[in-house]
Amino acid sequence: MDPQLSFLFWGYAIGWLLIFGYLFWIAQKEKTLRKKVAELQEAMEERWKQKKA
Amino acid sequence: MSMLSEFDDRPAVPLWLLAASALAMVVHMYLVFVWVPTEAAQGIVQRLFYFHVPAAMAQFTASFLGGIAAILFLVKRDNRYDDLSLAANETVVIFGLVNILLGMMWAKPIWGIWWTWDARLTSAFLLLFLYGAYLVIRPAAPVEHRAVICAVVCIIGMADVPLVYLSNRLFRTQHPAPVIGGGRGSGMEPRMWVVFMFGIFTVMLLWSCVLMIRRRVARLERAAADLTRRSHEMEDLRSYR
Repeated sequence: MDPQLSFLFWGYAIGWLLIFGYLFWIAQKEKTLRKKVAELQEAMEERWKQKKA
Repeated sequence: MSMLSEFDDRPAVPLWLLAASALAMVVHMYLVFVWVPTEAAQGIVQRLFYFHVPAAMAQFTASFLGGIAAILFLVKRDNRYDDLSLAANETVVIFGLVNILLGMMWAKPIWGIWWTWDARLTSAFLLLFLYGAYLVIRPAAPVEHRAVICAVVCIIGMADVPLVYLSNRLFRTQHPAPVIGGGRGSGMEPRMWVVFMFGIFTVMLLWSCVLMIRRRVARLERAAADLTRRSHEMEDLRSYR
C-alpha cells in the first residue's frame, strides 16, 4: 500500500475512533449516573417515609 | 418531584440532528476519499487537512463557548453555566487531540518528523495541556470552590486561543502558512474549498451533538452529587438525634 495512503487512512481512523470512543464513554457514564440517581432518590424517599411513620 | 424527571427519556440530542450528523459524515468521507482532487505538491496525505483543520475549529469554538460560560458562571453563579463550561472544555481536549494527532500523521510523510517545537505546534500543545490541567484540577479542587477555580483556568485557556491562531502569522513556523486570509499565494482549488467547507460543517455538527450529550451527563453528575450530599446530611441528622 502507498505509505501516504496508510497515513491518510490511520489519520482518519484515529480521529473517528477518538471521537466515537469518547461518545461511548459518556454514554456509559450517563447510564451509570442515571442508575445512581434513581437509587439515591429511592433511598431518600424510603427514609422520609420511615421518618413520617 | 422526582429529580430524574428532569432527565427524561428523550435523547439529549434531537434525532434529526444525529441523523444529519451521521449523513454528513458519510458524505464527507466520500468527498475526501473519492471526489476531491489530489494536491499536486503533497500528494494524497494532504487530504488529512479536511479533518485536521475542522477539528481545530471545533476546538477553538468549544474553548470560546467554555470561556463565555465560565464568565457567565462567575457573574450569575448559576450552576448550569458551570455544567456547560465543563462539557465544552472536555470537547476542547477531544477535538484538540484529534487536531494534533492528525497533524502528526500529516507531518511525518511531508516533513519527515512527527513533531517540532515551532510556534504553532507549541502553542497548540500548550492549549491542550491547559485544558488537560483543567480536567485534572476539577475533581481535585475543594467542592465549594471548584466551579470558581475551574472558571478561572478555563478563561486563561480561552485567552490562549488567539495566540494559537495567530502563531503562524506572527512567527516563522514549520507549520504551513494560513490557507484562509494568508495573503498572496494562499487559497485553494474550488473543489477543495467545497470539501473543506463541508468538513467544517460536518465536524461542527458532530461537535454540537457531543457537547449536548456531555452537558446532560454533567447535569446528572451534579444531581448525583447533590443527592449524595443530602443523603449524608439526613444520616448525620439521624445519628445526632
